Amino acid sequence: MSAGVHPGMSPGANPGMNPVERVFRSAGVTGWLHAVDIDGGREVGLRADEPVVLASVFKVPLLLELHRQAERGLLDLTERVGVPAADRTGGGTGLAAMLDDATLSLRDLAYLMMAVSDNTAADVLLARVGREAVNTLLDGLGLTATRVVQDCREMLTSLWVDAGVADQSAVTQACTDPEVVARLRALDPAWGNRSTPREMTRLLAAIWRDEAAGPASCAAIRRLMALQVWPHRLASGFPFDEVAVSGKTGTLPTLRNEVGVVEYPDGGRYAVAVFTRSLSTAQNQPRADAAIGAAARMAIDQLSTHI
Amino acid sequence: MDLVRHLGYFLVVTEELHFGNAAARLGMAQPPLSQRIRRLEEELGVRLFERSSRRVALTEAGRLLVPEAREIVARVERMRDLMSDLARGDAAVVRAGVPADLGAAVLAALIAGFRDRRPDVRLSLTEMGTAAQVAALLEGRLDVGLLRHPVAANGLAYGPVLVRHPGVLLAEDDELTAWAAVHLGDLAGRDLVLFPRDAEPGLYDDTLTSCRRGGFVPTEIICTDRVEFSLGLVLSGTAVAFGAPAEVPGVVWRPLAGAPLAWRCSPAWRAEPGPYVRDFTTVAVEVLKQSAGMVDEGVPPAPRVTPRPATGFLA
Repeated sequence: MSAGVHPGMSPGANPGMNPVERVFRSAGVTGWLHAVDIDGGREVGLRADEPVVLASVFKVPLLLELHRQAERGLLDLTERVGVPAADRTGGGTGLAAMLDDATLSLRDLAYLMMAVSDNTAADVLLARVGREAVNTLLDGLGLTATRVVQDCREMLTSLWVDAGVADQSAVTQACTDPEVVARLRALDPAWGNRSTPREMTRLLAAIWRDEAAGPASCAAIRRLMALQVWPHRLASGFPFDEVAVSGKTGTLPTLRNEVGVVEYPDGGRYAVAVFTRSLSTAQNQPRADAAIGAAARMAIDQLSTHI
Repeated sequence: MDLVRHLGYFLVVTEELHFGNAAARLGMAQPPLSQRIRRLEEELGVRLFERSSRRVALTEAGRLLVPEAREIVARVERMRDLMSDLARGDAAVVRAGVPADLGAAVLAALIAGFRDRRPDVRLSLTEMGTAAQVAALLEGRLDVGLLRHPVAANGLAYGPVLVRHPGVLLAEDDELTAWAAVHLGDLAGRDLVLFPRDAEPGLYDDTLTSCRRGGFVPTEIICTDRVEFSLGLVLSGTAVAFGAPAEVPGVVWRPLAGAPLAWRCSPAWRAEPGPYVRDFTTVAVEVLKQSAGMVDEGVPPAPRVTPRPATGFLA
């Protein structure tokens, strides 16, 4: 079997099924997807207007508002901020895993938030720019189904409260129990940070077209999204040197997301938003992660043949 | 002096490296042959041979003269042949080499197009790979060829460079047919059927370099210049092939995403185009564009590697 992505087709199985749907099914997930040709406007969708839980994907509109406030002189991206060791939001990466007091500039906190989904960095930045400011920005862009109503700490706290465990350290274990997963408020789009696949691709397209903010700000945001380290989701669908993949993941129990932009050497640029929920509660599901890339490639393949 | 005739004597001596044998081959005695070579040396103002009692060897000047002399003699012969054809009332001929995979429709269009343009000239086509065409052009056995780049040959001149981007031919039950466009990297693990390296040394190497760059190292490479054989291997699922769409049931063609392969070709002739070569070139360029999906070469995109943190060096 070759490396790379496979269309996920089993001969004879539901030949009439939407190929994107088929990719999700074969990975054991329910998927929501929207893909759009940023310059041509052609689009592909699957439940593209249904509300979805953003999880860490909310860091994209937060990053945009950070840059917009810098453009207006409300803050200085090079301002250094102290992040004490005693006040860290949970998470397996970045400042949450570091043991000592740190001081970073706002823009370097933004880098950690985007590159490794650093929750502490995100909460410091959200506290600085304000949730209302983020939602006002989203209103201005016409993205009214997208809301940022909580920070990472609130999301994580809800997990252990709903799971009925004493603290963060017990959450991972508890959330492999389907009964626990069934009562998590964090998985309800109506409760927390939310959007739709279509609104996410509109946001990305606006960033890639320099319309969401000034060109320098949009370029800075694109730079950070290209620096994300994860290879297992969106990027896994495009294991090709000449294709650039930028993105932001989001993860909660049974929930795996990534939104991003895929750029081809012929100049084709495609914004893709993929949101999934798995039936299995296992935390490690490489097939579910890879299905995000495979579905995105399937959708982009339908938009263009890149010739 | 008759310079061309003296060059002919010179060439025979260079082939024999023995005045006696050369004279015998020319049907003359040795002294007049030696005298004629000396006269040629006087005319050119250089010594062409080192002579000793035991052996004859070319000097540096002699070595340099050999290819020049060959060309002059061959061209004069060809000129004489051409004139005598005309004198006898024979139709004029342009001898052209074409690649093996040109296809019946393109070949027919080429012949018809040339007939329309020059009904008075007969087009004599020979199927040949680039390596054979280069040799035939340099030796004067062909007037014009259609060469595939990259090709390195001194003494040839080229017409416009045309390019086409081959896609990939797959068996219809190959899972990759689910894609509208296939990446080279998707082909990893498959065998490849390709034209023989002997026939197309430049393009063969160029194609495999692009494949390696794109993440496709064929498990096995099966070489053939027979289109039917190649399609048979594709049809059976044994290998994939690069090329234009084939109207064969069971074989599916897909474009390669990003057009990573660029197959270039151009008409070529020896430094001075022979008669009717320009007519052939004009017709060939037109036909290749109309019937073979080729386009004028644009600026080839530089291959790029987009950096990703997860696959960066030392990551």
